[in-house]
Amino acid sequence: MAHIPDGFLSMPVIAGTATASLAALATAARRSRAALGEREGPVLGAVTAFVFAAQMLNFPLGIGASAHLLGGALVAVLLGPWAGMLVLFAVLLVQALLFQDGGIAALGANTLNVAVLGVGSAGVTYRIGRAGLGETRGATVVAAGLAAWISTAIVGLAVAAELVLSGLVPLQPALLLVGGGHVLIGIAEAVLTGLLVDFVFRTRPALLARRTPAARGDRIRVVALAGAVVATVLVAVGFASSQPDVLETALARLASPVGSGLTAAPFAEYQSPVGGLWVAGAVGVLAAFLVAWGLTIAVQRRRP
Amino acid sequence: MSFRHLDRFAQVRSPVTRVPAAGRVFGTVVLALATATLPAGAWVQLGLLAAVSLALLAIAHVPLRVALARLAWPLGLVLLASLALLVVMPGEPLARLGPVAVTAQGADRFAMVMGRAMVALLPAVLLVSTTSFPELLQGLRELRVPVAVATALGLAYRLLYLTVDELERLQRAARSRHAGGGVTRRRHLITAIAAATLGRAFVRAERTHAAMLARGFRGTLPLLHAPVWTYRAVLNVAAVSILVLAVAASARLP
Amino acid sequence: MTALVQARDVTYHYPDGTPALDTVAFTVAAGERVALLGPTGAGKSTLLQSLNGLLRPSAGAVLVGGVAVNDETVTAVRRRVGLVFQNPDDQLFLPSLLEDVAFGPLNAGASRAEAATRSHAVLEALGLAAAHDRAAHHLSGGERRLAALATVLVSQPDLLVLDEPSGDLDARSRRRLRDILAERREALLVATHDLEFVRGLCSRALVLVAGKLAWDGALDVLLADRAMMERFGLVA
Repeated sequence: MAHIPDGFLSMPVIAGTATASLAALATAARRSRAALGEREGPVLGAVTAFVFAAQMLNFPLGIGASAHLLGGALVAVLLGPWAGMLVLFAVLLVQALLFQDGGIAALGANTLNVAVLGVGSAGVTYRIGRAGLGETRGATVVAAGLAAWISTAIVGLAVAAELVLSGLVPLQPALLLVGGGHVLIGIAEAVLTGLLVDFVFRTRPALLARRTPAARGDRIRVVALAGAVVATVLVAVGFASSQPDVLETALARLASPVGSGLTAAPFAEYQSPVGGLWVAGAVGVLAAFLVAWGLTIAVQRRRP
Repeated sequence: MSFRHLDRFAQVRSPVTRVPAAGRVFGTVVLALATATLPAGAWVQLGLLAAVSLALLAIAHVPLRVALARLAWPLGLVLLASLALLVVMPGEPLARLGPVAVTAQGADRFAMVMGRAMVALLPAVLLVSTTSFPELLQGLRELRVPVAVATALGLAYRLLYLTVDELERLQRAARSRHAGGGVTRRRHLITAIAAATLGRAFVRAERTHAAMLARGFRGTLPLLHAPVWTYRAVLNVAAVSILVLAVAASARLP
Repeated sequence: MTALVQARDVTYHYPDGTPALDTVAFTVAAGERVALLGPTGAGKSTLLQSLNGLLRPSAGAVLVGGVAVNDETVTAVRRRVGLVFQNPDDQLFLPSLLEDVAFGPLNAGASRAEAATRSHAVLEALGLAAAHDRAAHHLSGGERRLAALATVLVSQPDLLVLDEPSGDLDARSRRRLRDILAERREALLVATHDLEFVRGLCSRALVLVAGKLAWDGALDVLLADRAMMERFGLVA
């Protein structure tokens, strides 16, 4: 459920995410213009059309399942995060207004999740990956695949957080179902993005070469940023797992203004699965991460 | 859901289509926002907003059958997404389905979400049933969507048809050469097709850019049509918005 | 007779250094109709794009109305030299035909009302009035070609430059396009492989072979000289 329909989110969450999205899009518009100049219109138009078209293609995954590309990481790799955000926003806008795929009131939240956080995290991951692994074909493909997986997982976490903040579902099932679901979807996205980037690298490297190699200062900043993100996540996870009830009560209070009634007694009877949900979640995430990593490497090795 | 539906919208003149596209988009957003933010238990207000949307659909001469058909698919998605609510909510079990229990709280929340989702989808159906893509684009630009996004969408409309045509040509060509083949083979093929389409999209962007420059393009798509806002259109949009906001506000009165 | 367009020893190298045009020199007078012939890859498209400043020569110069094409003059030059691209799909990029046609005038600073009036007039003249609110993908191949022409005619250029205008047109559309061009008063420069299309339409021919101007003279004379046509690779 990458695109939240209307009816799921509370007023404060709708307002907050819309404000955050507006601010991010304003920055993206400025930065994308600076990067692409007067070519911006046609390039963004072509990539927007491609993302729409690519979402109609079903990639067979084997075992009877198939997946379609979401495209966040791909556009981040091709256009950079800022222009990529605008492309995904354009896609979301049309999906909400014309296809009823994602709610109109929830557009701000969906933009924040998919366009801003999804594309932004993919851009950061890709840069870290290339700064750390190098600029070879293998490094590029692995960095793109990782970016796709991490960004899909982050989209899932953001969706889960918004549902919880809306007082709709308790934290743990939201994380397990939505967040965990996206961790799995992310594997498919990582494979598809890796395959496509590999193909582009071999056939039209000019499309990727526009990214300037990371300067030394950039590298330090990127590593610092990555460190900060990881540290924040670890602290948050540690806090949440030690005192889940406190966090949930706080979130529920925050999310439900006076008199909503439904969230007044938050989730007291909810039972964690055996072994602790956080342990299970961490193991699942780690396993999925390793699988994604292995798959991207296997995919690019298999093709001389 | 095919993008080709974009061009199949009913072009029936009605009081709704006499409102400029920007007004229709604005009204749609107001109705959807008001509906989606109704507090739990505001069933009366939900019914009133549904009545407003249904009345607008009737005024726009959208047949109920068409509206319901367009509602079915997105509503199915909402249903799938919210089924989990029935069982993940802690509370008194109403019924047991194997290992999971449907709780009263879960059912309550499920009903609320489904109700809001269904009513919030009505104005969206109204918008697609009365507004062509070019009109929608015009409306978005008047509502100050970032220029880059408006430009991208303006060009993407045509490029989408060209891209999909190319995609289908490549798929046909690939199918005629490789009948059958295993999953790996097909995946390889589809990747190649997608990547080729991507490459061609960039080439086309370059050529379109040249054609735009040749006709004096300086970075922004000019607007040809000025919106025709009549007093009546302004009054209509204002009246509907005020009515909707009043209904929404009444749900939050103590 | 003053030269409308003058190419002064235009030389162009692709960014990778491959030469595309080698000291090409010619003039086109106002109202003159010229066919630009030559085998594929001879540099025809490159030459056309350098005439309105989309490509800048590596050496030599293009003058339009006696003014050299450079960053300051390029906007005015593009209004005088209208370029119809080989593929109409590249030229019709907006959601409706009327918007595509009005694109040039609006960029040149025309008011919305004026741009709309002029666009309607051009579409009317080309028999496309009924299709003005349609998108290009709902037009036939012949209509698309005429629509691409309309997007350029609306700016009232002095020289119409057409790149392979008769490519993949059926006989009737081809005939119709030719009749329309025959009635225009603008100077014409038509790059084509379709000798029948330019026979009787153009009076003069330029032949490019491997980036060099191999012939500049009367089209009739060229078409009558089978041996020379073969030497230039214009007939098999």
